[in-house]
Amino acid sequence: MIKIGFYQGCCFQGQDAHMFETMKETFKKLDVELELLEETTCCGGNTIDEENRKLSYAINARNIALAEARGLDMLVSCNTCYMVIAKAKRALDTDEELREEINNLLREEGLEYKGTSRIYHLLDFFRDAVGYEKIRKAVKRPLKGWKVAAYYGCHVLYPKEIAIDNSDNPSSLQEILKALGAEVIDDYEHKDACCGYHSFFTDKSMTLKKLNRILGSVKKMGADIVATPCPLCFKSFDIYQLNMEKPPMVPSSFLPELMAYAFGIDKETSGLAHHLVKVEKD
Amino acid sequence: METVKLQVFRYDPEKDAAPYYKEYEVPVEGTLLNALLYIKDNLDPTLAFRAFCRSEVCGSCSMKVNGKTKLACKTPMKELVETWKGKPLRIDPLSHMNVIKDLVVDIDKPIEKMKTLIPWLVPDPRVVPTDPMHESIIYPEEMKAYRDQIHCMLCFSCYSACEAVEDNSRYRGPFAFSRAYRFQVDRRDIETAKEKRIRYAISGGLWSCVQCQKCLYVCPKGVKPAEDIQNLRGQSVKKGFTDKPGARKLKHFVDWIYATGQINRLYLPEEVYGNKEAREKLTKAYQEMGVEVWEVPKPTKGLMKFRDIYLEILSKENKALELDFSHVRKIDKMVSDIFKADICTIVDRAHERGESAKGLIGKLKELLGGK
Repeated sequence: MIKIGFYQGCCFQGQDAHMFETMKETFKKLDVELELLEETTCCGGNTIDEENRKLSYAINARNIALAEARGLDMLVSCNTCYMVIAKAKRALDTDEELREEINNLLREEGLEYKGTSRIYHLLDFFRDAVGYEKIRKAVKRPLKGWKVAAYYGCHVLYPKEIAIDNSDNPSSLQEILKALGAEVIDDYEHKDACCGYHSFFTDKSMTLKKLNRILGSVKKMGADIVATPCPLCFKSFDIYQLNMEKPPMVPSSFLPELMAYAFGIDKETSGLAHHLVKVEKD
Repeated sequence: METVKLQVFRYDPEKDAAPYYKEYEVPVEGTLLNALLYIKDNLDPTLAFRAFCRSEVCGSCSMKVNGKTKLACKTPMKELVETWKGKPLRIDPLSHMNVIKDLVVDIDKPIEKMKTLIPWLVPDPRVVPTDPMHESIIYPEEMKAYRDQIHCMLCFSCYSACEAVEDNSRYRGPFAFSRAYRFQVDRRDIETAKEKRIRYAISGGLWSCVQCQKCLYVCPKGVKPAEDIQNLRGQSVKKGFTDKPGARKLKHFVDWIYATGQINRLYLPEEVYGNKEAREKLTKAYQEMGVEVWEVPKPTKGLMKFRDIYLEILSKENKALELDFSHVRKIDKMVSDIFKADICTIVDRAHERGESAKGLIGKLKELLGGK
C-alpha cells in the first residue's frame, strides 16, 4: 500500500468533486491511498505570477509544506498545478534566501518548507511509484478495440526543468494506455499543440483554432477518444469544443476515468457517462 | 561507425514546384550542425542552411528535428538518436517564416514585429548624462532584473515554437516581448517610453500568450519569455490598463484566492465579461452532466493564516493590483450566507469536520436546499 498526499487544486472540488471520488476509487485498485491535503489552496493557476511571483512561490511553499508535515510525497493531477508547484519547488530548493524568507512566514502556522517531499504528476507517479505492470494486473475490462489518442498537454513536458518525461518524445502515457489494453494512436499531426484552455478568456478564437487542429487531426486518424492526464485539457476538449462553429464532436477523457473503466468501475461512477461529447464506445 | 538517416527538407522556390525530403545517411557523432556540414562536404553541396559561429553564440542555425525546434550546433546527434530511438530524423526549417531555400528562412517578419515594441533604450536625461565624458553606471544588483534577457541572440526558436504566433498573426512573438521587457526594468529608460511599450505590447497580443512554456523549453540561452510576458502583463495592469479580459481575470484570481483560498470558476466568466448568463449556463451544463454545484468553494483549514501570508507578501512586494477589500467582503458575505456563520467560524469548523468531498456535497445540498 502506497500512501500519498493528494493536491486537489480547483479541479477536484466544487463543480468537480466527483473527480476526486473517481480518483480515490481508481487508486484503491492500485493499492494507493490518497490522503487529501485539505488545507492546501489554489496554486495560483500561473496567473498569480502576474501579480507577484514571490506570492506564487509562497502559496506553493505552503502547499508543499502541508504534505511534508504529514511526511508524504505529493501527487498533483492537473498539468498546470503541477508546473506551477514544481517551478516553486525548484525556486525554493535553489534559492536559500527565498526559502528562508518564506519559511519565516510559514512558521506562524507551524509549517516549514524543507524540500523533502517529491512532487509527482499522475504520469510519473504511475511510471515510477506504481509501475505499469501493476496497472496491467488491475485491468478487469481491457479496452480492447479502443483506439485512444494520447494527448499529454504542455505543462508536464515544458519547461525542461520540470518535465516528467522526455519532452521531445514522451512515452509514459502510451505505456499506461497500452497497459489498459487500448490501441494507442500517438502519431496524429497536432499531438503537441496546446489545448488552448488558458487563452479561452483572453483570446477565445485562438482556443477554438487549436481545438480544431488537434481534434481534427485526431479524427483523421480514426481515434475513438482522446485521453489526457490533465483535467484542464480535458475540459477544453469536452466543454470548449462545443463553442466551435462546427464541433468535430470528438469524445475525450481524463486519464483516471478511462483507468477506472478498465478496472471494472462502471461508466457512471468513472465519470465517462457525464461528458458533453458522449463517449459511445464500450 | 554508427549512422542515422536524416530526412532533410529541400525546397528551392525558383526551381521546385513543391518542397520534398531528401534522405542522407550521416555519422552519429558531434552535433546536428556537424551532420549537416558532413552532408555539405561529402554528400550534397547544394544543401542550404545558415550557420556561422558553430558555438551557440550567433543563433543562426536553429531548425526543427521531428517537429521540435533545436539549435543545430547545440544538439548532440547522440542525444537525438537516443530520444528518437534510432528512427529517421526529419529536419525542417523553422515555422512561421517563409522559406528562402531549404533550411534558410526569411526572418524579416519577426524582426519587423519586434521593432514595434521599441526594443532599445530611450534614455532618460535625468539618469543618463548627456555629456559623453560621464558614465551612466549600472550596478550588478540592478542588472539582475534583465541579466537573462540580454542573452537573446535572435535565433527565432521561440518564434517558431510559439503557440500564439501559430494562431494569431498579430502576435509579436515571445522573444520580442522579452526584449521589450528588458528595457521596462532598465532605470535608464524614460517613463514615457515604458508607457508606450506597454500600449504597443497590448496591441501586439500581450494577453494572447497561452503560457504553454514552449518558449522556455526551446530557448538555447535560458531566456524565459513566457515569464517576461507575465511580468509585462503585471506592469500593464499596474499602469492602469485594467479594462482587458486578462486584467479582470487577474483581479478575480487575486481577490478570490485571498478570500477563499480558491478561484471560483462559476463567477469567473461573470467577473471577466460581466456576463451573468455564463454562470447560469455553466451551472446548467454541470447539472446536465449530473454534477451538483455550489457557488462558493469550501473555505480551507488555515485560511486565516494563509491570508496573513498573502498580505505580508503583497505589502512588501511590487505588485500589479491592490487587493480589493470591498470585493473580499462581498465574497465573505456569500460564504457566510451559505454556511450560516461568519468566515472565521466556518474555517474553524472546517478543522473539526474533515469530511470527504462527497459528504460535503450532500451537506451543501442540504444547506442550499434549506435556504
